[in-house]
Amino acid sequence: MKVLAVDTSTVIATCAVMEDENMLGEYSLNQKMSHSENLVPMIKEVLDSLNLKVSDIDLFAVAVGPGSFTGLRIGIATMKAFAHVYDKPIVGVSTLEALAFNLSFNGLIVPIIDARRNRVYTGIYKWEKGLLKNIMEPTAMEIDSLLEILLKEDEPIMMNGNGVSIHREYIKDRLGDKVYFAKNIHNNCRALSIAELALEKKDHMEGVNYYNLVPEYLRESQAQRELKKKESDAQ
Amino acid sequence: MVKIILKNKEDTERFGTKLGKILKGGDIISLTGDLGAGKTTLTQSIGKGLGVKDYITSPSFTIINEYKGRLDVYHFDVYRLDDVDSLYDLGFEEYFYSDGVTIVEWGNKIKELLPEYTINIHIDRGEGIEERVVTICGQGDRFDQIVKELNVN
Repeated sequence: MKVLAVDTSTVIATCAVMEDENMLGEYSLNQKMSHSENLVPMIKEVLDSLNLKVSDIDLFAVAVGPGSFTGLRIGIATMKAFAHVYDKPIVGVSTLEALAFNLSFNGLIVPIIDARRNRVYTGIYKWEKGLLKNIMEPTAMEIDSLLEILLKEDEPIMMNGNGVSIHREYIKDRLGDKVYFAKNIHNNCRALSIAELALEKKDHMEGVNYYNLVPEYLRESQAQRELKKKESDAQ
Repeated sequence: MVKIILKNKEDTERFGTKLGKILKGGDIISLTGDLGAGKTTLTQSIGKGLGVKDYITSPSFTIINEYKGRLDVYHFDVYRLDDVDSLYDLGFEEYFYSDGVTIVEWGNKIKELLPEYTINIHIDRGEGIEERVVTICGQGDRFDQIVKELNVN
């Protein structure tokens, strides 16, 4: 089964083709938000180099967020269109889960994606018996609140994602020796992780199709926003 | 807080153009003032200072207009928005936190979504038809720096 996967949740545009357990090709660009111009030519380049056509793909996989609003829309719209045209299945994969999937670490894996204003999109993951378990649901929170939670944990922690480059020193100050940071090569979204996770998930994704797949922006809840409004009105 | 009296249209244009020349990528301006106070007119002058060649029109109906100048310029008018949710549906964060300059008319309607370092400019009518009284408020280093460069004190 051939999977075409893309992830445009962050500044990185990445696409990959995987056939069962074999990686066939991957192409990633780290360029300032130019997904709308880059993504489709990148996919074409990868497919052409592999002598494949979009119609040869059996499964479409896409990162559904959290992440950049525009980026997610570009990636998801593109993949939904492909799946629709060839009437093939599509699987959405959490960007955070895919980031965590980049790492093998015995402890807590905490990917962080910058959500601006000192907030991050984050979740907590852990490998158990060869499966990546989600311990804390993906959420948007202040970096401080996340560190409060992590301070209470006894296990070693490994973090990755583009939030690390912004908050690295601060995290190190707060968490000290129990935090590790992923190597740079494992720090970014990789379409191959999306592809492999999609293959694992495809049989448990009943009801998901190219009509109803939607991005998970993870906006702040109404309650959080009302609190913020009160605060800004009080100023 | 800084208060400036602009005696006529030329004064207003000069002020806007000067401000436009000072602005840097990432700056965000909230413009408030009654209908007809001159928010769009001021934006046009700011745009001129930013090197925008296109004619800047009111985004009252489109909500956002984008222009290319020395920097990308994003001109919002949020008057018609019913609630802040609609702004989330526009992906506003990628504009507000971009490398471009964002100008938001009626920014007071979405106060809770504006960054702390937003430069707030309020326009009041003064004496006579053309006089305008402009009040600038803000906080942080960037605000201090802009006020200093405007050299109005």
